Amino acid sequence: MKRCTADELQAIVGRMPTTRDEDWKYTDLTRARDISSRWLTMGDGTPSSLLDEEIQRITESVEASWLVVANGEIRNLATVSGVTVDKLDEAPAGHHALAELNAALLKEGLRIVVEGTIDKPIGILVIDGTEDTSVSQAYIEVELANHSTASVIEYHASLGDADQYANTAVSLVVGDGATANHVRVQNRARNHVQTGRTDISVGKYANFRSAGFDLGGGLIRNDIVINISNAGADVSFDGLYLAGEGQHIDNHTRVDHRVGPAISKQEYRGILNGKCRCIWNGKAIVHEGADGTDADQANHNLLLSDKAEIDAKPELEIYTDDVKCSHGTTVGQLDETSLFYLRSRGLDREHATQILTHAFAAGIVARAPVEAAKEEITRLMEARLARMIQTDDDFSS
Amino acid sequence: MLQIENLKSRIGETEILRGLSLSVNPGEVHAIMGPNGSGKSTLAQVVAGHQDYEVTGGSVTYKGQDLLELEPEERAREGIFLGFQYPVEIPGVNNAYLLKAALNAKRKHAGLDEIDAFEFLKMAREKMATLDMDPKFLNRGVNEGFSGGEKKRNEILQMAMLEPELAILDETDSGLDIDALKAVANGVNSLRNPDRAIVLVTHYQRLLDYIEPDFVHVLSEGQIIKSGDKSLALALEEKGYDWVREAASA
Repeated sequence: MKRCTADELQAIVGRMPTTRDEDWKYTDLTRARDISSRWLTMGDGTPSSLLDEEIQRITESVEASWLVVANGEIRNLATVSGVTVDKLDEAPAGHHALAELNAALLKEGLRIVVEGTIDKPIGILVIDGTEDTSVSQAYIEVELANHSTASVIEYHASLGDADQYANTAVSLVVGDGATANHVRVQNRARNHVQTGRTDISVGKYANFRSAGFDLGGGLIRNDIVINISNAGADVSFDGLYLAGEGQHIDNHTRVDHRVGPAISKQEYRGILNGKCRCIWNGKAIVHEGADGTDADQANHNLLLSDKAEIDAKPELEIYTDDVKCSHGTTVGQLDETSLFYLRSRGLDREHATQILTHAFAAGIVARAPVEAAKEEITRLMEARLARMIQTDDDFSS
Repeated sequence: MLQIENLKSRIGETEILRGLSLSVNPGEVHAIMGPNGSGKSTLAQVVAGHQDYEVTGGSVTYKGQDLLELEPEERAREGIFLGFQYPVEIPGVNNAYLLKAALNAKRKHAGLDEIDAFEFLKMAREKMATLDMDPKFLNRGVNEGFSGGEKKRNEILQMAMLEPELAILDETDSGLDIDALKAVANGVNSLRNPDRAIVLVTHYQRLLDYIEPDFVHVLSEGQIIKSGDKSLALALEEKGYDWVREAASA
């Protein structure tokens, strides 16, 4: 499916962002470039023997109509009434290197069109598992027709010890008066790299509710780009990232308010332990004439170790007068008074820490707009927190 | 049960307890009184194991073991309960969850099985009834948005559930209206028995109208300067703390 020559591909890899680019200052894609270059000379490897089992586990644990993209190939096209699902042979030509890479290497893309009200969530599982070094692409378009309602779960997972780099592009178009409930779960293996971009455009008087959960992965970069060019759009999106030893999770969000009145609210929370780094960069641009914009962004971080690093950066650019904008970021440690309170009730430090971190994260889970995904998210989150807290003895000092 | 000998403790550079001695036996109710800053709360925090208070001298023995060697959670599992002056709000943690986790931590330590859900709920409802607490508090976040009185009742509920051998109640009466005070006193009195000791840390005599102490101690500048029976509390109410201080220094 390679659409260009090896030299052209190497050239695209060479154009991938570097830390000299302002937007990529904190996230070094050298690993992704190395994996890509190696893989280009080797080609696809053997699929992991555990892949089918893992697909089954995930699709059975969350009640949804599942579409599966495994190692870049579409496994099934579920038939859901009110939903049209098509394979795409190609992705649109990209305007930046990661989109170019996506377009050049895409095996099969997905296009999902929703009309009317769909009760059962649409699940999209993007999973990679190979015995050898691999690079995979996913390209997914979801379109909600005017006045339709649907819930979409994006679930990103991977398995295997071999080096892996996944590059995904999701485009979500929410029609006029439509309501989209969206949950993104990222639970890739701890040594894997993912760059993912989600472009959302929100129609007139449309609702977009979203929550993203980064519960795994080695080097993760998410770009959420929301375009509001219609009056009455109501957007809220939240995020939770849990990072332990060796992980790097970068969330870049951008909301363009081009027309008002419209609302956008975001809240990201992170829990970091051990030597790790997270980035939250929330940009909101209120363009000239977007009167009546209400934009709110918040980012709160809990650092359990002094080796953990967070770069939290709100960016507001406002080019009109009649707006209401706010932002707030906090970085803190576990509250010692709360910890002592719980310990004085007989809970050991580890249990008390788990309870307090869980409580910190639970607010984001509670607001996740797709009920069917919450149990799986909670399960993954609890397991991840328990391991993060057990494996680092740093906070017991 | 609890033997405190010549205890010295400081927080940061400030010395607060300066050679405090106290002996508490099963079945006894002690009231520790004293003006602000005399070290009442510090004593409570040191016994519960708060890490900010450094013990610089003396000893604390509880049921024959060196209490100062134990982590706060170990002290709790061994039967010590501290009712906080300012109970901590923990949004997002269900009150019932905490009660159950605390109870099970203690049961596990004692070699018992975890309490089953039905038994737990039955027990919690009974205890809440004696405290005049609405059962809906079980499903709220720990102390989240509780009024001052509700927080103190919640402390007593935790105590009632955990059935400690030694309960230290730090200014449990502060900020309570008369109904809440009676409910709290009721809860405490229902726990009085020959195997259990209760230490009430209080600024005012008012609480002692409802919970009758066996001993009253006056704390001043980190030391117990006078001990007596409940009549001492009444004398304090009438004459103030200066009277004891003057008598002690004379």
